Amino acid sequence: MLDLTLLAFFGYLLVLGLRRPFVWVLLYVYVDILAPQRIGYSLIVSLPVSMIAFAAAFGGWLALDRKEGARFTVRQGLMVALLLYCWWTTGNADFPEDAATKWDWVWKSLLFGIFLPFTLTTRARIEALALMLVLAVATIVIGTGLKTVLGGGGYDNLKFFVKDNSGIYESSTLATMAIALVPMIWWFTRFGTIFRPHWAVTAFAAALTFACFLVPVGTEARTGLLCIAVLALMALRYVKQRVLFLMAGAALGLTALPFLPQTFYDRMATIGEPSGDESASTRVAVWRWTIDYAERHPFGGGFDAFRGNSFTYTLPIKEIDGNTTTTEYREVTDKSRAYHSAIFELLGEQGYPGLAIWLMLQALGLWQMGRIRSRWQNRTQDEAEAWIGPFAISLQMGAVIYIVGALFQGIAYQPVMLMLVGLQIGLHSYCKRIDSARSLLERISPHGPAADNQVGGAVTA
Amino acid sequence: MIDYFALALGHGLIAIALLRLVLRDGLDIDPLVSSINAETAALRQGTTTAGRNAARRARSAGDNDSINPGSAPDA
Repeated sequence: MLDLTLLAFFGYLLVLGLRRPFVWVLLYVYVDILAPQRIGYSLIVSLPVSMIAFAAAFGGWLALDRKEGARFTVRQGLMVALLLYCWWTTGNADFPEDAATKWDWVWKSLLFGIFLPFTLTTRARIEALALMLVLAVATIVIGTGLKTVLGGGGYDNLKFFVKDNSGIYESSTLATMAIALVPMIWWFTRFGTIFRPHWAVTAFAAALTFACFLVPVGTEARTGLLCIAVLALMALRYVKQRVLFLMAGAALGLTALPFLPQTFYDRMATIGEPSGDESASTRVAVWRWTIDYAERHPFGGGFDAFRGNSFTYTLPIKEIDGNTTTTEYREVTDKSRAYHSAIFELLGEQGYPGLAIWLMLQALGLWQMGRIRSRWQNRTQDEAEAWIGPFAISLQMGAVIYIVGALFQGIAYQPVMLMLVGLQIGLHSYCKRIDSARSLLERISPHGPAADNQVGGAVTA
Repeated sequence: MIDYFALALGHGLIAIALLRLVLRDGLDIDPLVSSINAETAALRQGTTTAGRNAARRARSAGDNDSINPGSAPDA
């Protein structure tokens, strides 16, 4: 039954795409994030839904789309460079088989990230992609939040639709991406045109935000807690009543404390005491190893180069015997420990060139969103433009939260983040298009800039 | 049960959102950009080269007061 329902939904989106081919782009986003072929059990598993969706998205754009305003940008160029560089390092990888396995999904994510901005040529499309991202992640988050409230959480215990710890179904990744999307969720309560601002939209946004905050609690992902702190700090910049915001945040936190399980406190306590936790201890050791490795292999060792690492360190092991707790320091040898950081993941796998490209890609995005924010945030009179500044803010906040989360997780090629990068590029190109159309009008207009404002004011999307 | 509820809610909202998207205007042609372009095209059609040059000369002089807004340049 579940398979049939998912297949029917897939078919429904394919049919809608016949009328508007852009829907097929959204279909691929849905398939890539939620992975319905891995939620089902029989029929849908045997179908290449991801390939069908990509073929429809790309073919539909190539054959049927107007392509008006589509342009190739510097950041897409950076992604092409990263893709080619990854291809080269995969051919020279330390562990060719493992590298090929990772390459198999990384190239698709990067290619879709490069392709996506070409399709984002209108406000409606930009909003539709943002909504699809939010709703696809929300589908996972709602289930996670409900299970946490009803007491089914716990690190490695909370079960998602897909139980293989891959993609966004990895608990820390889900926690990071869920928190990164919170600013965008609230953008919809003010500027959404598919679901117009309404009390029901605000109520859903509030419930979804609460569910997003519950993801780090339910999965006991420490990175998620850090991301919430970063979100709160950044939100302080934009809220009007800061004292009230701080007091409400503190009250919410204090109210939540009694409901948190002891295991949550135990795990979060290791943030300040990393030496007592194997996962945290190995991170530092892996990072040191990666720096040494990069000195010997400055051009990277290909995907999964971490498999060559091995190190011994001392770890305090606590033993409780009745009322007595004894702590013994034992030497632990670890092999093939993952990077636990996107920065070191890139440094080890793609060397300094790959890391530089990735950092440029992210830094340029933050700068571009900041620039759009400062240029467009005061254009609030016209509904057709008022959404742009706040949307850039939500994308910038999302990017910062992702980068902070990525400092402690190997999520450099996370498909959802590459889609957010695509969204940033799409918004930037869209703003440039408006600017260039305006400047052309200004050049030939007999009234100069005055005509400019009239045009902007006359249009409501 | 929770999984089924979450899947139903998420998919239901996506289904409604995409249906609304397909039925609305402005998905393939942006209203704001096309209105600016239409204004530009109208201006181009409505003025001759001589008129545009006159307007440009007037604007480059930086004299907003010398041009009467709304009046078309002489053809």
